[in-house]
Amino acid sequence: MKKSNLRIFSISLVAFLLITSSGLVFGSWYLKSLEKTVTEKFEGQKWRFPSKIYSDSYLLYVGMSLQVGDLWDQFRRLGYREMQSAPRTKGEYRYQRSSGLLDIYLHDFVYPTESFKGVPVRISLQGPVVTRIENQATGQEMFSLELEPELVTGLYDRIWQERRVVKLSEVPPLLIKAILAIEDERFYHHHGIDPVSIVRATWVNLRSGGVVQGGSTLTQQLMKNFFLTDERKYSRKIKEAIMALIAERKYSKDEILENYLNEIYLGQRGSQGIFGVWEASQFYFSKPMSDLTVGETALLAGLIRAPNKLSPYRSVDAATKRRNVVLAKLLDDQIITRKQYEAAIREKLPHRELIKVTNDAPFYVDYLRRELAENYSNDALTREGLRIFTSLDLRLQRIAERSLSEGLKKLEQSYSNLRRKGDDDSLEGAIIVIRPQTGEIKAMVGGRSYQKSQFNRVFQAKRQPGSVFKPFVYLAALMAGADGGKKFTPVTMVEDSPFTWNYEGQEWQPGNYNDEYFGTVTLRRALEKSLNSATARVARDVGIKRVSDIAHRLGIQSSLPIVPALALGAAEVTPLEVAVAFSTLANNGVRATPLTVKQVMDPTDRVLEKRDVRVEKVLSPQLAFVMNYLLKGVLDRGTAEFARRWGFTRPAAGKTGTTNDYKDAWFVGYTPDLLAVVWVGFDGQSKLGLSGAQAALPIWTEFMKQATAGTPITDFIPPPGIKIVEIDPLSGQLATPNCPYILREAFLEGDEPTGTCPLHPSSTWQISQSP
Amino acid sequence: MKNISCPVNFFVQKIVLGVVALGFVAAVTESCAPRPPYRTPIPPAVSRPPEAPTLPPPPPPPAQESVRQPLPQESKIREQDLKTKGPVTPPGGKEPSKDAGPPLPDDSSLLAKITPGIPPQRAASLRLTEEGRKLLDAGDPGKALSRLEKTIVVDSTNPYGYFFLAKAHYRLGRYKESLNFLDVAESRLSEEPFWLAEVHALRGENLRALGMPQKAEASYAQALRLNSGNRTAMEALSRLQAEGSSNPR
Repeated sequence: MKKSNLRIFSISLVAFLLITSSGLVFGSWYLKSLEKTVTEKFEGQKWRFPSKIYSDSYLLYVGMSLQVGDLWDQFRRLGYREMQSAPRTKGEYRYQRSSGLLDIYLHDFVYPTESFKGVPVRISLQGPVVTRIENQATGQEMFSLELEPELVTGLYDRIWQERRVVKLSEVPPLLIKAILAIEDERFYHHHGIDPVSIVRATWVNLRSGGVVQGGSTLTQQLMKNFFLTDERKYSRKIKEAIMALIAERKYSKDEILENYLNEIYLGQRGSQGIFGVWEASQFYFSKPMSDLTVGETALLAGLIRAPNKLSPYRSVDAATKRRNVVLAKLLDDQIITRKQYEAAIREKLPHRELIKVTNDAPFYVDYLRRELAENYSNDALTREGLRIFTSLDLRLQRIAERSLSEGLKKLEQSYSNLRRKGDDDSLEGAIIVIRPQTGEIKAMVGGRSYQKSQFNRVFQAKRQPGSVFKPFVYLAALMAGADGGKKFTPVTMVEDSPFTWNYEGQEWQPGNYNDEYFGTVTLRRALEKSLNSATARVARDVGIKRVSDIAHRLGIQSSLPIVPALALGAAEVTPLEVAVAFSTLANNGVRATPLTVKQVMDPTDRVLEKRDVRVEKVLSPQLAFVMNYLLKGVLDRGTAEFARRWGFTRPAAGKTGTTNDYKDAWFVGYTPDLLAVVWVGFDGQSKLGLSGAQAALPIWTEFMKQATAGTPITDFIPPPGIKIVEIDPLSGQLATPNCPYILREAFLEGDEPTGTCPLHPSSTWQISQSP
Repeated sequence: MKNISCPVNFFVQKIVLGVVALGFVAAVTESCAPRPPYRTPIPPAVSRPPEAPTLPPPPPPPAQESVRQPLPQESKIREQDLKTKGPVTPPGGKEPSKDAGPPLPDDSSLLAKITPGIPPQRAASLRLTEEGRKLLDAGDPGKALSRLEKTIVVDSTNPYGYFFLAKAHYRLGRYKESLNFLDVAESRLSEEPFWLAEVHALRGENLRALGMPQKAEASYAQALRLNSGNRTAMEALSRLQAEGSSNPR
């Protein structure tokens, strides 16, 4: 051998050895790293579980009047299927219009305080009224019935994977057999990759000129789902195969199969991906896996190949064909009998509507997240699968959303100056709805479009309340007498004319709307007509500090400037604060702490947190009643009387609010059981140019009309210590038969007038009053 | 809270309470003393954190009373038993003094308040209240609280819902919260002396648990003025007085 050749050979050998050893080192490092990846996945936290937010549950009771249309909607959203025959399994219902019988087979549901097992129930209706509720399993009469809460949304990080992890022993054997038969029949005979399947798939692919069939085993599919993408490349397939071999070497077949059954993707509901067989059983059939029929089991197994394409939600025909393929395979493999096969093949797949979880309460959820952030990290909320039960009423939420959006649109149509080009500084609004007795926030719309702006005006926007603040002045006045100050009653005469208030060396001259003054008026009239000058005089007599104290006591938390203009609402507060303060009045002087989160449970159904209704009596029920009685006049005769003309006729109290510069329009109004605050304005402080009665009241009225429809009509009940007498509204004295108008006025006992109306004297009346 | 500063009233109260207490001591020696429909266990006179993370069990009653929580069906039996026997006679068979007023007929049955003309929401709310009461009697105040919160949602004017909410909070050791609900219940029960007496008696229990024995005593006395047959107040006062005599304040 020549010397040069020897040299080349030596170099080549060294190079070969170097490359080979490097390859071996790299290969073993690569294998080690893949093994580490597989091990970490199998032994660490495999999945992220988004927390789920639920609405409040819905209580039906004997004697209640149902909004039947709303109830069907609710059934639909809860996944109940309407049947023509009597419901046989959970999640079905039938309504027989002619006899007024509603049969429903309730779902199971784990509540924070109890686990409810679904039962068949018959609800008898007479028109919209529930006349009887019966548990059909026991024949027992029930007096109330709780419909499970609705899923509002999930809290997730990037992708919402909906999944409930189950043990292999919890999966019905038939489902396992069906999945193995259709996806990997040699699962228990290979070591992660199946050469027989690969050869078969390669042959098919070569013949077709592309990748049309996979030879992947379940283990390979699991590896792909755990770590890899869907791209059809040979490099990916090789990696998948190596990982499958590693997994099979390290873990048992049952461990791999259990992971597969929990990991597998099985469909899509809007933003929510359906993963694992437990979740898929609920998604497609609204029932637990143990209740699946042979046909349903076959379909579930068949869906794995292409869940969205074969979904019965998309095409009943495609789903039926696929099911039949699986059934034939099960029959061939003698997993089912011919009798079972024939029965299953006859099962008709019902056409079902796909109900997406759309998050109809994004502002509410944002508010909730802030509240939850006090106790739970973002990681905990997006990974640990908490179940969060809230006070949200989705029916009221949808009505609020609709009322605000349509109301703002109508305003823009009616007043061209409110229309803005583009998205900048468009007309905005907010609604918050509270149940005064419990403080539960039932609905919240923080703006016109969550997509455009997530700024939540309900609790983030501090705006001037304008005349909405005035009731605090009048309440302070009613309280002043009891505290030894000047005594005010609803018929105390107040001067409504221009005046100057000198306060700590400063002069302030409050002016009325349109510079219109009414002379001497009763306290009631001043409040009903929202007279600035008269209100300012009352505030001056009472003391502005006292007014501020009352506002804080009722629930205003923002700091309030102690200046005369505060009487007319020259301060900055949020709609949420206004709602809480007026809830205190609606609730007879008892302030309830705002409540959104009611309970938090972990995935094992352990209650992590429970927030109860919290109340505090801050005002006597008598004073609260007199204020409510005064504020009823605002709707019956005052600045909000249009609510009556627009069809809202229930007993209700409220107050309009307009700021001096016409930038903010408010209305806060309430029945004894429901309170709503509406704010309308521009974020950029542009002039709205409309009063609260023009801009906010129509939205409030529309909301309340729909929200209270079908609910019992309630009025404010006078507590002991209240005297209601008939008076003449002009003089404020006891009415005589000659008074053209008579008003029933409420007084704290002992404060009622004793003299008769001097404007319309009646001799007979006076005689009859004599001893 | 209640006015105990007037010396005449206070003196009269003490006499009444003394008579009642003596009667009670005599009664506990009798084995067949009638049982009240709903017994409120007396907590130890120490204040507990109102927001304790683990829920405290109902406070144990004094040993000589051999009180245990009645089962729901038992409570029903007692209720019926009481109805047949009429109002509770003070222990020892002695009549309360005139200042204490007569014992009132038992008005504790909520289901009896469901009459044909009652609004459906009130009927539903009363039934839920009754369920809450049974859960309380069965020793499950947490579950009772959830049920009782619904009572005021269904019918915000149901005063018994507020009373039993107060009771549930008391059983959970949340005495201040219980007092808040009692304030609401009181303003809505002002025309029902039987229930108003229950409110005052439970207020006494809360005040006692909060370490305010004098205020508690005034509340018990107020309960007895309204209904001299109020068992909770009667027993609590006896105990307070017994404690007072052995440990003079």
